[in-house]
Amino acid sequence: MYELLLAGIENILHTKHLLPLFVGTLVGVVGGALPGITNTMTVIMVLPFTFGLEPLQGLSAMIGVYIGGESGGLITSCLLGIPGKPSSIATMFDGFPMSQKGEPGRALWLGIWASFFGGLLGGVFLVGTTGPLASIALKFGPWEYFSLFVFALSMVAGLTGDSITKGLLSGAIGLVVTVMGNDPVFGAPRLTLGIRFLEGGISFLPVLIGVFAFAQIMSDVEKMRVARADPAASFVAPKLVVSHAKVIWEILSRPFLLVWTSFIGVLIGVLPAIGGSAANVMAYDQAKKLSRHPERFGTGTPEGIIASEAANNSNIGGSLVTIMAFGIPGDAVTAVMLGAMTIHGIQPGPLFILQEPTLAYGIFGAYLVGHVLMLAILFVGVRWFLLIVTVPKSILFPVILVLCVVGAYALNNTIGNVYILLLFGVIGYLMVKGGLPLAPLILGVILGDQIEINLLRSIMTDANPWLFLTRPISGGLLAASVASMAFAVWQHRRHQRKSGVAQEAADF
Amino acid sequence: MLGRDGLTGLVVLAASLVLFALTLDLKDNPLVPLGPGFYPRIVLGLTAVLAAALVVFDLFARRHGRPAVRETAARNYRLVLAVFAVFGLYVAFLPYLGFRIATLAFVAGLQSTLEPPRGWKGWLVVAVTAIATTAVAYLVFERYLLVLLPRGRWTDF
Repeated sequence: MYELLLAGIENILHTKHLLPLFVGTLVGVVGGALPGITNTMTVIMVLPFTFGLEPLQGLSAMIGVYIGGESGGLITSCLLGIPGKPSSIATMFDGFPMSQKGEPGRALWLGIWASFFGGLLGGVFLVGTTGPLASIALKFGPWEYFSLFVFALSMVAGLTGDSITKGLLSGAIGLVVTVMGNDPVFGAPRLTLGIRFLEGGISFLPVLIGVFAFAQIMSDVEKMRVARADPAASFVAPKLVVSHAKVIWEILSRPFLLVWTSFIGVLIGVLPAIGGSAANVMAYDQAKKLSRHPERFGTGTPEGIIASEAANNSNIGGSLVTIMAFGIPGDAVTAVMLGAMTIHGIQPGPLFILQEPTLAYGIFGAYLVGHVLMLAILFVGVRWFLLIVTVPKSILFPVILVLCVVGAYALNNTIGNVYILLLFGVIGYLMVKGGLPLAPLILGVILGDQIEINLLRSIMTDANPWLFLTRPISGGLLAASVASMAFAVWQHRRHQRKSGVAQEAADF
Repeated sequence: MLGRDGLTGLVVLAASLVLFALTLDLKDNPLVPLGPGFYPRIVLGLTAVLAAALVVFDLFARRHGRPAVRETAARNYRLVLAVFAVFGLYVAFLPYLGFRIATLAFVAGLQSTLEPPRGWKGWLVVAVTAIATTAVAYLVFERYLLVLLPRGRWTDF
């Protein structure tokens, strides 16, 4: 395994892979530093550029975006008190007070170095567990796959949004999208409403791009011309000089905190659809609970910054494990990566690491090298990235939407995908306004075909429906689905009793 | 009176029932036990049940006096509608005007909608952004990444 890993790293160090990884990381840092531009949005913008590249080049660029984005968000969080993206919110709790106390360099570099070490710990998990988990998944029959996908969907439905009914309904709407088009057994057209284009089914990428791009852009547009003056407008560049040896020692002298919060990040990454923001906040919460001085949290304590940043970067490793071992995206960024893989004819899942070892270990290599590049990019350009916050959204949004159109169109050079993009842009925005979470919808669209195929395959193999329950792994997964929903119901009720308000939606 | 959740549930319920009715027209194949309508009926039935549950829960919550979800911050929905309209026009005219002309007009139009330009400097920013976005997108995708962007039926450009 280690030889393959070294070969993967060596492969990534070739200019043809290193360049897209570098550009992706740079774009990720820039996107991460821009308040209101999430990693999902940045990776959606990068997607069309990867169509003309080799698979590993394209995936390297996307992994770079992911790593750069997770780290870039902390810049504005620490220095301006504006989270670059949801997964930097908890970083701001202590990063910004530390900056205000006159230590902006320390706050920033604690976050950057914690991201780096957390990311590397996530990499250990990624490299060490993907293969064994894929081997387990290889033993799965159609019953187990069906139950696994149902488990993933029920978990997402339960853990996102403020109501389990809404989560499940959103997932069900996603499944409805996948039944439009020809059926997978005989190719008979279903629910095409007389539209010829729909006979081929609806690709999930235009749906994903439309839903996420519009949901985010429109929620920013809603606030334009009514919001107060932007604090970024009155920004003055701070002094960021710091002793890196001291900062590194500050992190490494707290090994338990670093390992534990990185583990939380990995665990949340493995669970489908619970993104970096949950990892960031949960790790912060854990660090506070475990601290001897919880009262210092929120006043600029280094533990708060280390915990939140280590968790959101190790989260990437967890998300990549799920997609590589099971073919289930860990979050929206890996969902886009899954789309990019399918465009290149690559099917992620249990056979992926066996059939595509060069690509799989190349991804591991890109992940590890990407963290080093992130560090180098921030080392050189952190001061410049702060200027990015002054770019007006009236310039950014048209450019993003043009890239969304190109991304949807270039999937198979048809304008139909652009119409799908617009349609789901409207649907996604209406869903947000209707209080329905978007993550289950997307997972439903991604997994719908596989759920149907495995359900039909299992029934055609043996018509006994009890097999779903009596086969140990399948039964265990279905029991876990029920347990996860019961847990979600309990959690929602407890939260409502405690606070009397609806729960914040998690990011995807 | 229904709240936000109830209305959402009602819309989804209606849509799922219409689609469910359409699946009844799908013919089963005599050779296999499961026809093309088998799975869609399960999914649409589940969707309808969940949507109905959302309506019921909303009614129940209102009867027990739980407050409806209210927006606290001011929202500019007119601007949202305008952005959708501009994007809709872009998508509608893209096959007729071609990528280059449609994109140039779209970027300039959307920028002006989001933040009306003030003075000649504002218009210069709009023009430069529109031209640069169109040119860079065209050159990168069509020349470098070999993506054949749409040509206009009316303009052949």
